[in-house]
Amino acid sequence: MGSSSSKEVDHGNYVSTPVPVPTGPAARVIIIDGSRSQEEYSFVVGESEKLEETFVVLPGVSARIPVTVDLVGPGAEADLKGIYISEGSDEVTFDITMHHRVEGCTSHQLFNGLASGQSKCAFFGKIIVAPDAQKTEAYQENHNIVLSEEARVNTKPRLEIYADDVKCSHGATVGKLNEDEQFYMRSRGIPEDEAKVLQMISFVAPVLEGLEDEALASSIESAIRSLAK
Amino acid sequence: MDQREEDKIIEGITSQEYKEGFVTDIHQEFIPKGLNEDIIRTISALKQEPDWLLEFRLDAFRKWQKMEMPEWGHLDMPEIDFQDIIYYAAPKKDSERPKEIDPKLEETFEKLGIPVREREALAGVVAVDAVFDSVSVATTFRASLAEKGIIFCSFSEAVKEHPDLVRKYLASVVPSGDNFFAALNSAVFSDGSFCYIPKGVKCPMDLSSYFRINAAGTGQFERTLIVADEGSSLSYMEGCTAPMRDENQLHAAVVEIVVEKDADVKYSTVQNWYPGDAQGRGGILNLVTKRGICKGSGAHLSWTQVETGSAITWKYPSTILKGDYSSSEFYSVAVTNNYQQADTGTKMVHIGRGTKSRIVSKGISAGHSQNSYRGLVRMNSGAVGARNYSQCDSLLIGALCGAHTFPDIQSFNPTAIVEHEATTSKISDEQLFYCNQRGLDAEDAVGLIVNGYAHEVLSRLPMEFAVEATKLLQVSLEGSVG
Repeated sequence: MGSSSSKEVDHGNYVSTPVPVPTGPAARVIIIDGSRSQEEYSFVVGESEKLEETFVVLPGVSARIPVTVDLVGPGAEADLKGIYISEGSDEVTFDITMHHRVEGCTSHQLFNGLASGQSKCAFFGKIIVAPDAQKTEAYQENHNIVLSEEARVNTKPRLEIYADDVKCSHGATVGKLNEDEQFYMRSRGIPEDEAKVLQMISFVAPVLEGLEDEALASSIESAIRSLAK
Repeated sequence: MDQREEDKIIEGITSQEYKEGFVTDIHQEFIPKGLNEDIIRTISALKQEPDWLLEFRLDAFRKWQKMEMPEWGHLDMPEIDFQDIIYYAAPKKDSERPKEIDPKLEETFEKLGIPVREREALAGVVAVDAVFDSVSVATTFRASLAEKGIIFCSFSEAVKEHPDLVRKYLASVVPSGDNFFAALNSAVFSDGSFCYIPKGVKCPMDLSSYFRINAAGTGQFERTLIVADEGSSLSYMEGCTAPMRDENQLHAAVVEIVVEKDADVKYSTVQNWYPGDAQGRGGILNLVTKRGICKGSGAHLSWTQVETGSAITWKYPSTILKGDYSSSEFYSVAVTNNYQQADTGTKMVHIGRGTKSRIVSKGISAGHSQNSYRGLVRMNSGAVGARNYSQCDSLLIGALCGAHTFPDIQSFNPTAIVEHEATTSKISDEQLFYCNQRGLDAEDAVGLIVNGYAHEVLSRLPMEFAVEATKLLQVSLEGSVG
């Protein structure tokens, strides 16, 4: 057995790729419909810029959504959010790469999903912190609720960290609607279906915080109501 | 902390000596290098095995030949030439005193702190099965364990004395074609430990296997099979060391654990294989398949591991939670330094109703090392009301190391709940300052902080192991930088 030839390379398996050029501000809300299902979303955030992006996937849409964010200037910030609500035979896959290439950048991710029917939801979220990207703060959350026997959820949050002075965390949960909460509401005269709607709305609400889009809010509400039936 | 002090401390870490790195000069018998059906027949013949076991080996070998070395690990793996390994090395027995353990061997194990003779140890009595290269050299307390119906012996003896049990359970948890290294192990495994706890018996002492690689150019391929019958309980410990060499040596073991209804097994490992030198030369490649099955309802299996050694650690002690309301835990501390690489974690596969699992993983990386947690939690459609909680923390020491987390959560059940959280951080300046202020120097402060960080796992270890693990942590990271 010989010893490995690439041992001399620092930073182990870190793969260095060319640094892209900042793309400037983009739309704040992206509603994914079936027709754009193969589109790739890539954002490059420069020095002291802030990216805020919210992805919405409503029932009846099957899509693989690749999102790449490159933080290339010091002080760059990215705030990615997403909701996916799936029913029937929908298949939704988020594939997110958050690349911290330089020091002092911050990123937040929050993706919440509701899976019903025979739908399949997947969340693949990668945070890569490059060897020189010290003082990085990167946070990622993915929460899922499985509403039916046949729905499936797969979540793979990943952290690849090659710098040491960083604060990174991720959290992922898969669960069900809380029955104690339902009991509380029902004992106060709220019908079961309505209680579930309220629970689901409160589940997705943190993602929509700060958005003042009435039309979007009502289409999300009606999507949730359709799940509760 | 200024640069000078930092450099000094980093130098301190990397120049640490591996005190188990000596070689025992002993007459050994080898078989020729290489791997083919004749080699397998030779191993089988040397061990006077029955035909069914030879068939099992050959079948596994044929499967292995069709398989390819997996490459998905977050590892920079040196190429392994499987024809350049000696698959069997055994200390020659002194023919005049066939029943005695060779004094040199005994000395070796004494030096490692492993009693191969029966005696009271610090924290009570521990029965040991000591494996030297390819063979088991001694198993202590066999007689007193036998009184309770407990079988604890080397794998080879088990094949001769309890063939029915071995045949029933061998490869029932890790099939011979399960993965590349499990297939290799099934083809060439040389020895290992076998343990059977009968119905309702609580094992009166901790059982332990100690693995030692000594000969150069060899690999160690041992197999451990543990069966805990209904309502029994057992605490099992595993330790390992190897000499310092410039070449990589392969360790590809298989551990299978069967936990029947209401039985309770606790499996603890302190892995201290030679990690290679400060430049990343040599060291053990630790590529191990460990898996247990909670077969009956209410069964419980707990994994605790402290990984400080090996050039490369690639293993996932896993549990299949088949019995209703069975439960499993995985507690791990993995320390990597210099050019060590670890890609380790667990798999919890929930099949039965109301099954529960808990994962606590603490990674510590220093130097140029890469430390990854990889884990699978799967809730099958029958796992009604199943529950998992995972916590994976990484601690980074120095700017050139990496810490990675790759969890995979799959839920096919609307009543199952899975929670996963992971954090990555370094020892903060505030923590160091606080300790310095109270008169602790940087080295002691880091030791204290790392021990506190790993405490949740260390506290799960049996007492003797906990002492050893705490010492190992301190040695591996003495005076690390915040």
